[in-house]
Amino acid sequence: MNIRHHPTDESLMRLAAGSLPAGPAMVVATHLAGCPQCRERVAEFEAVGGVLLEKIAPVPMAPDAFAAALRAIDAEETGAVAAKAAAAKAAADKPRARRSPAMLPGGIPLPEPLRDCQIGPWRWIGIGVRASAVKVPDDPGARLTLLRVGPGRKLPEHGHFGTEFTQILVGSFTDEFGRYMPGDLTEMNHDIEHQPIVDLDGECICLAALEGGMRMTGPFGRLIQPFVRL
Amino acid sequence: MTHVMHEGGPPDGAALARMIIGIAAERDRQAFAGLYSHFAPRVTAFLRKSGLPANTAEEIAQEVMLTVWRKAEQFDPARAGASTWIFTIARNLRIDHLRRARVAASAEQVEPEEIETAPSGEVLMLASEREASVRAALAALSDEQAMVLRLSFFGDKPHSEIARELGLPLGTVKSRVRLALGRLRALLEGET
Repeated sequence: MNIRHHPTDESLMRLAAGSLPAGPAMVVATHLAGCPQCRERVAEFEAVGGVLLEKIAPVPMAPDAFAAALRAIDAEETGAVAAKAAAAKAAADKPRARRSPAMLPGGIPLPEPLRDCQIGPWRWIGIGVRASAVKVPDDPGARLTLLRVGPGRKLPEHGHFGTEFTQILVGSFTDEFGRYMPGDLTEMNHDIEHQPIVDLDGECICLAALEGGMRMTGPFGRLIQPFVRL
Repeated sequence: MTHVMHEGGPPDGAALARMIIGIAAERDRQAFAGLYSHFAPRVTAFLRKSGLPANTAEEIAQEVMLTVWRKAEQFDPARAGASTWIFTIARNLRIDHLRRARVAASAEQVEPEEIETAPSGEVLMLASEREASVRAALAALSDEQAMVLRLSFFGDKPHSEIARELGLPLGTVKSRVRLALGRLRALLEGET
């Protein structure tokens, strides 16, 4: 896959630092699944975290903290050996006992990072535009949406207060800043009214999440607003 | 039981990695004591800097060290150095904690490290090379850039936090973060 549009260094840094919210983090994780270059960048930022951890001024622990840690270990070690072996075996077997590839409605394979998510049905939100709510298992508050937009159609129009993360899964769209193909990720910042239009050669499916609030504009925007709970 | 703490300077990365491997191989409690005395106070400091209250930070740091003990077998020095590995454990437990605080604790946990794990077949840059170049790049940043990077790395709301700490307008801070990251990128890619 020839990826031309990547997350910003700041987003990759925040993913590594653990400060990117769950929705955008899932969109970026979906990008990483197909982008070795960005995976390496995240590994670099994790190494930055390691160096910063080395250099941080230590905060003394409570006097009995280490003794408490040893007691916790003792409690776990007694009788936990068998459970641990079973867990290790289960972990080793995991890659083979792979989940069957889930499909999006329409037979499109779901990207690996979304396999544990609950994918809602496609809902009509405008002519040529359907959306599906994605629930992140450990963070029901995360706002993550699949959009499915027909050829030549506009993506739901909106102005931003925050940053919108969009990863292209199928098809392509074009806006003022370029053309976006499968594997590409765009970050649109607030203050920019942008208008992506799906290219004419087919429908486009993308995964989108927003950090911060969003002000929808236009009739579609007002229609979609209650749906995406923004 | 006696726990030999380290005399003199802090142990280096190779020594820390050997301690984790010692736990994996022999449940070496002396090695755990060494790791604990080095990392527990640093992990606590990291968690406090990232906005957790003091007692919560210490509780999670304790859990981080127990995870180091439990998961020592998963430590792969070819993938990450000791500090980087323990940093990612602390980061993940912090994320788990913040989510549990927001939502009912019933949900299954997805570990971010699972999401980020590379598919097989990828040629990884050797961790030791990566960490050496990251260390060199950080050392080559100006003091201000290093501070901007540190603050934006640890801060939960990076820009507004830095703006407050440096007493600068938000827009200025945004461009300084971009500049610092751009400089770091250039250094990592071998430009000067």
